[in-house]
Amino acid sequence: MLARRIAYRSSMFVVAIASVVALWELYKVVGPQDGGKLFGVSILPRANDTAMPHIWSMLSRYGRPEVRGSDTKIWSVVLSGAFFSLRLSLVGFFLGTTIGVGLAVLMSRFRVVQRGLLPYLVMSQTVPLIALAPLVVSWGGKLEIGSFVWPRWLSASILGTFLAFFPIAVGTLRGLASAPAAALELMESYAASWKQTLFKLKFPAAVPYMVPALKLGASGSVIGVVVAEISTGLKGGIGRLIIEYAREATGDPAKVFTAVFGAAALGITMSGLVALSDVVLMRNRPKESST
Amino acid sequence: MSALEVLAASKIFNQGTTKQVDALVDVSLTVQPGEFVSLIGPSGCGKSTLLRLIANLLEPTTGSVSVNKKTAAQARLDRDYGMAFQQAGLFDWRTVSKNIELPLELKGWEKSRRETRAKEMLELVKLPEFADLYPWQLSGGMQQRIAIARALASHPPLLLMDEPFGALDEMTREYMQGELLRICGETSTTVVFVTHSIPEAVYLSNRVVVMSPRPGRITKVIEVGLGATRNEDTRAAEGFFKGITAVREALRGTHAEHAAANAVRGVEDR
Repeated sequence: MLARRIAYRSSMFVVAIASVVALWELYKVVGPQDGGKLFGVSILPRANDTAMPHIWSMLSRYGRPEVRGSDTKIWSVVLSGAFFSLRLSLVGFFLGTTIGVGLAVLMSRFRVVQRGLLPYLVMSQTVPLIALAPLVVSWGGKLEIGSFVWPRWLSASILGTFLAFFPIAVGTLRGLASAPAAALELMESYAASWKQTLFKLKFPAAVPYMVPALKLGASGSVIGVVVAEISTGLKGGIGRLIIEYAREATGDPAKVFTAVFGAAALGITMSGLVALSDVVLMRNRPKESST
Repeated sequence: MSALEVLAASKIFNQGTTKQVDALVDVSLTVQPGEFVSLIGPSGCGKSTLLRLIANLLEPTTGSVSVNKKTAAQARLDRDYGMAFQQAGLFDWRTVSKNIELPLELKGWEKSRRETRAKEMLELVKLPEFADLYPWQLSGGMQQRIAIARALASHPPLLLMDEPFGALDEMTREYMQGELLRICGETSTTVVFVTHSIPEAVYLSNRVVVMSPRPGRITKVIEVGLGATRNEDTRAAEGFFKGITAVREALRGTHAEHAAANAVRGVEDR
């Protein structure tokens, strides 16, 4: 059963990738070389090799050095950049999970908190990340807690946290509220404490809601980290590679795509980690609800 | 000494508003240890409300409820009763055995003691081979037996049941009734049992409490003397039919009073 589901999902993944590749190359054949214009406004992207390099030139770019004359191949640069960002994303994700789940528990415990806090949480997500990134860096720089010095990378992680905590908080809140009334009554008849009800009933009942929320949170933390790297110019991560390589787009158009794919692989790795937890946590649940 | 005493209890919801509902008015009921008492009546007669007052899931508006000579609240804190509902309400993420252990975990029993007791309970409900399965792998009747095992796991002196067999088919239902009598006999548990079914109430009970709605109250208490050992022959015995007729007539009485309000809706005449 499980093996078949995994095989099916992976084959769908391959099909999806293949069709994107096919569409890209098809557009390069039929699309206008210098872009399509309608009433003087360009609406169709240019199909030439500078704007849209062939897929194979992007892939072969991985095997060539990062800069001319260097020994380091670009794949190793992209890989270490992705790994750097992965670590930041993981930190952001764990902080986001802690804060998100904590807020959800608080909101489910106290109605007042839920009514007072939820609108602000929703509003917090409308603040543009680009505007927030430099602020977090400067606030972090001013922080002094004993001997703790705020490292620059932590600001990027915090922005990952900022995007991750919200879906986790909302999903967990819904999940905690999903425990059936009869089950709550049962726990009450056993004179179970609030904590016992939380850990023995509400959290297990919340798992089917928390897993998709954690997936959203995982990809959110990647986006937050990459955007923060770009807007604060943090060195070492995949975000920095993307802006650096984008500057060379005219001379070496395939180069930026190597970093873009690195960022995509990073996101897939993160949600893959969560999907794995899904398989483990839901292994003994009725099959209808785990799809 | 009585196992359970309800004294002039009333429950009024939304008191003083336009949505006021007199769910239960001036109800008194005493149950002796080891007795099996059924509550029967049309929808809205307050039988589930009465059960919840006994369980201390609701507080009476006036009057008092005592269980084992304690207040209902203290009895709940002391886990003096077990409860079973129409939906078995087993936790999907726990094995059958772990479900039975739940009340013991909440009481702080250690693991080995819990496991021994869960095993005993599974023997009692005759499902020992299902310990490591998950509830959703079991039939409805089996799930309900596990729910009874869970309710009785800490050996409470009192068992409260709210239409526990209401969702089962007729054959399973009769089998479960026999099993329940056997289990309660073996554990000498006092039972308060809410049901919609007249034959079920008569077959199981020492006494059937007939209730009527608007406002919810007790109209008649019928003694059923079917003896300690009941089996399939009991269902064909004269005493069984006499009991059914008596309960039906008592319910008709409530029906006549509330004919305009279509009150017997919800009573299964089978």
